[in-house]
Amino acid sequence: MTRMNAQVEQALEILKSGGPESMDRAIESLQGAVYAFGMKVCGHPEDAEDTAQETLVRLARSLRDFPDARALAVWLYKVAKTQCLMSRRKSKFAPAQMLSLDALMPDHQVGSPAAPKSWAITPEEVVLHRESRERLERAVLALPKPYRLVLILRDMEQLDTREVAEVMEISEDTVKMRLHRARVFVRNELEKYFSKKERARS
Amino acid sequence: MADPRCKRIFAALSEYLDGDLPVKNCRELERHLKGCQPCLAYLENLKTTIQACRKYHVKQVPRPSALVRSALLQAVRKK
Repeated sequence: MTRMNAQVEQALEILKSGGPESMDRAIESLQGAVYAFGMKVCGHPEDAEDTAQETLVRLARSLRDFPDARALAVWLYKVAKTQCLMSRRKSKFAPAQMLSLDALMPDHQVGSPAAPKSWAITPEEVVLHRESRERLERAVLALPKPYRLVLILRDMEQLDTREVAEVMEISEDTVKMRLHRARVFVRNELEKYFSKKERARS
Repeated sequence: MADPRCKRIFAALSEYLDGDLPVKNCRELERHLKGCQPCLAYLENLKTTIQACRKYHVKQVPRPSALVRSALLQAVRKK
């Protein structure tokens, strides 16, 4: 069983079933999911609102065309992705370039002071502390869009590789390749921040 | 990463963490990690990054607009 973003799929089930109960909650849930996706991809509240509005109005027109909530969820992410790609504001961080694995590889030698050390921070703390949370957001927004979308869909929205491939209309191998480079890029950006903090402390 | 083994490991870290790496390659990677502290630290920090992404949520979400609400309710009623 594949694991599509549960919140989206559940809300779409309720809409498709057509019963009056929980309808408002389902609409709010979808608004929340699509807006949050737009914020992660575009980094701007107005773009995220445009993305949510356009995507959900299109959903209303297409609700009957899909056999099940899973197919509809893939379609929903596809539409939201296209809306984000058309967003008016360009990210001030992201370069329009491909990421090469060689360039992302750290230049460390065993025993050298530049060799990476484990960070003294948990994933929960990364997202709870304002500064590290902002660093994470900036690092994601600094990714070129083809990589950013794959990382957001796979690691933040938690779609599986096949679903990401469907949404992005690329092969699963390309998803894996882009995902690894995107993760390494974000990791390296966070490393700069954490090692600078470490140096300031010592 | 002057060592070619580090380079090979580096390219396979995501597949390893996602459980997509063949068993034979997993064993090779784990053997290498036992003797290479920088690669181990790199892997741990990559894992923290991925988990932080999974835990990241957008904090403030506006309510759906009247247009969205009425379009969806109308679509549901038509079904």
